[in-house]
Amino acid sequence: MKSWRLPAPYLLLLPAFIVLAAVVVVPLLLSLYSSFTPFRLTRPDSIWTFIGLRNYERLFTDWEFWVAFGRTVLLLTVALNLEMVLGLGLAVLVEKATRGQRLLRTIMMFPMMFSPVLVGFQFKFMFNDNIGLINNALQGLGLTDQAIPWLIDGTLAFIAILTAEIWSSTAVFAIFILAGLMAMPKEPVEAARVDGCTPWQTFRFVTWPYLMPFAFIAMTIRSLDIARAYDIVKIMTDGGPAKRTEILWTLIARTGYSDARMGLANAMAYIAILLSIVFTAMFFRQLAKARAQIAAEW
Amino acid sequence: MATVSLHSLVKRYGNVPVVHGIDLAVADREFIALVGPSGCGKSTTLRMIAGLEDISGGEIRIGGRKVNDLPPRSRNISMVFQSYALYPHMTVAENMGFSLKIAGKPQGEIETRVAEAAKTLGLEELLERRPSQLSGGQRQRVAMGRAIVRNPEVFLFDEPLSNLDAKLRTQMRIEIKKLHAKVNSTVIYVTHDQVEAMTLADRIVIMRDGHIEQVGTPEDVFRRPATRFVAGFIGSPPMNLEEATVEDGKLVFAGGEALPLPRQFRDKVEAGRKVVFGLRPDDLYPTGHGIHSGEEAEVHEVEQAVMLTEPLGNETLVFTEFAGREWVSRMLNPKPLKPGEKVRLSFDLSQAHLFDAETGTTLRT
Amino acid sequence: MDRNAAHRMKRGLFKATHLILLFLAMAIICLPGLWIVLSSLRPTVEIMAKPPVWIPRQISFDAYVAMFSGVGQGGIPVIDYFTNSLIISVTSTVIALAVGMAGGYAFARYRFAFKSSIFLGFMLTRTVPGIALSLPLFFVYAKLGIIDTHFGLILAYVALNVPFTIWLIDGFFRQVPKDLAEAAQIDGCTRWQAFWQVEFPLARPGIASAGIFAFLISWNEFALASQLTRSTSSKTLPVGLLDYTAEFTIDWRGMCALAVVMIIPALTLTFIVQKHLVSGLTSGAVKG
Repeated sequence: MKSWRLPAPYLLLLPAFIVLAAVVVVPLLLSLYSSFTPFRLTRPDSIWTFIGLRNYERLFTDWEFWVAFGRTVLLLTVALNLEMVLGLGLAVLVEKATRGQRLLRTIMMFPMMFSPVLVGFQFKFMFNDNIGLINNALQGLGLTDQAIPWLIDGTLAFIAILTAEIWSSTAVFAIFILAGLMAMPKEPVEAARVDGCTPWQTFRFVTWPYLMPFAFIAMTIRSLDIARAYDIVKIMTDGGPAKRTEILWTLIARTGYSDARMGLANAMAYIAILLSIVFTAMFFRQLAKARAQIAAEW
Repeated sequence: MATVSLHSLVKRYGNVPVVHGIDLAVADREFIALVGPSGCGKSTTLRMIAGLEDISGGEIRIGGRKVNDLPPRSRNISMVFQSYALYPHMTVAENMGFSLKIAGKPQGEIETRVAEAAKTLGLEELLERRPSQLSGGQRQRVAMGRAIVRNPEVFLFDEPLSNLDAKLRTQMRIEIKKLHAKVNSTVIYVTHDQVEAMTLADRIVIMRDGHIEQVGTPEDVFRRPATRFVAGFIGSPPMNLEEATVEDGKLVFAGGEALPLPRQFRDKVEAGRKVVFGLRPDDLYPTGHGIHSGEEAEVHEVEQAVMLTEPLGNETLVFTEFAGREWVSRMLNPKPLKPGEKVRLSFDLSQAHLFDAETGTTLRT
Repeated sequence: MDRNAAHRMKRGLFKATHLILLFLAMAIICLPGLWIVLSSLRPTVEIMAKPPVWIPRQISFDAYVAMFSGVGQGGIPVIDYFTNSLIISVTSTVIALAVGMAGGYAFARYRFAFKSSIFLGFMLTRTVPGIALSLPLFFVYAKLGIIDTHFGLILAYVALNVPFTIWLIDGFFRQVPKDLAEAAQIDGCTRWQAFWQVEFPLARPGIASAGIFAFLISWNEFALASQLTRSTSSKTLPVGLLDYTAEFTIDWRGMCALAVVMIIPALTLTFIVQKHLVSGLTSGAVKG
């Protein structure tokens, strides 16, 4: 008689379960609990006071929080879409190159190796109104005669952050779409050309539908670590000046660490986590569809 | 060398049974072919014998020893995979010697045995190459070499020739036959190609939907198919099969056409019985162009219009319509025929088969 | 005009546009990096100069010298940071790879109940924003007394990297045909031997690139490190970068020099594995 053992796959997954439970799930449950308390780091006893949903009620009426929430969603939506379009463009440019494609591919991946903190500093440096590369160049070319306050004006700062974010993450899209372009069979495109499609029509009706799954894979991967944008914003503006670029994650950090209101910050964090999960789940659904499509066509 | 026996062997995936309690006894040194359409459970059966699939019920014995729960390595078998499954990171010699290395055999012995097997298969020149540098036929040989080196009690082949082109397949078929004669071990060979099964096997096992339909020598399954399915599966082009009702010494087809009830079935079927009439294209031929069937031939002639012909050189397949369906006949010493032309067809009823329309089993006892 | 000639010209124009766009794109990608390297090599006066100095008049390694000359002389404990980063990244990568290999193998080779839900669950742990996770972790670590230790950060990074290494390694094991492991078992291997003799060697390049991916993530991570480290005993390079910022001023030159120090190992490693990285990501994701 065989004695009962944990089936092999579960045994193999056990270490992963343990690590993720210990470092992610349990702390998150703890933070879920503390989001129902007025917990402050400075007053450890406050963790035992249960206040129910009061933190959440407060957030729902907190205008500042919802502005940050909206700004985060806006930032992500604009950034992801622009990254996809630019990534597509970049991939097509590289794919069309007849020589040095390997080198171009490597250069294309270059920004991925930069730590987001580094990206933040780098663009903070370049967008500096006084000594930054951008203003120097604009003034040098005579396009403007005064220093543009890139990181001081709310809208401009948003644009600067967006630029940094796009610079650092477009590569992810480009890599996947390029992989799709290279895996794509030539015959359908040739058939479309013979059938009288213009290059644009060929792209729109033949190439793009084929590439879409690859774009969704990139989307999913991006959505997994979307909160990396925190590093960039934290460095470039830290939500300032005067909270004009505050996003969800900088707000959480400020509430939790600077103001030491952990309970409230955890409530915010839970809303941020839900946001991430919604983004990811959305793309995973698309990914499943895309995979089915690829499986059907290959 | 060993016998292999299966007793009420069952395989279920979840609650879906794919092999329904089959019984089979393979004699020592026998060459058995498992054939059937895809999804019939033949590969699953082979993989259960190999130990690559768990057994849901029943028993497998190799050499009289129960092996149900033994891992593959303890069953003393070797297997040639459809994909060959050569290790891409090893040379041909390393691939062939891998099992001996794992068994902890000394380097010298490994080299001798690999060299021996390589000589048998004509692989001496290729020993230092990697699988990616070999052609399909060469890979196939290496896969067989890897199996031989182990010197196992039982060889398992899982559709080994299906990735080769037609010409190479014929050639490798002959080599496998020679190999079996030389190594003299028990072979279980899975294929969906009936020609391979007919040419190689001592006995053929025909499977369908997880059941065994018939076990028999190539002669048996061709001449005396036990079921309507076997009759239709073995033989190319396939046997002409058509439902009919027995009426007063005649077989009446749905459209009203009739044939005499073949002599060998006269005492065996009663009037009013629904049957399936089967006749191989070899036994249906334009008069004067058939295989001479000897004295017991019971020929019935019908005149029909030719629909289509397929000339194959030494013979021509002639398609005609009879009783509402297309019948294939084989014309030896062919003469040119045009579509629409009338031709007299001989039905050699002494070679006809009758199956029960309900159960599909043969009515010849 | 001849229609053929017109088309030829159009094609020529198309080609020229393509080259120009390609050049522009590459320039935008490379420029920020080059600008950092350049700025780290020129004196602060030149960086601050008005009107701007485009072409450096002199190249100096002062920033690097200052950086390594230690605290108090305009330097920061960069060697400590570098060592911390290295220890934490390497250790967490090795552990994440071991855990990821076991998990990836399970997903690639076995069928089991709730497989896709478990996979999705693992991935979802990865979506938790670092800053949101840092709040409870900070609290738990403070209770356990592992704030500002290597161990604490290593543990966090292992958890951060496990989902992704599982995804990647799953993809690489899938590329190794199942038949090979079966053939090895028939050749006399146990499942364990079959893994190490056949499947592991074949998936090795992929596993290596998953490792480098994990290394880069740990090497570059900031949100958790900035909260869970305090002093030179565990601060990593990304956190160390902040040492160059004071309340109102930033030592741009020094920061650029540190940035170069940070990026060089990452750059080298990525070059080594970029090919496998792409194929791994795509095969794992597409055919999953």
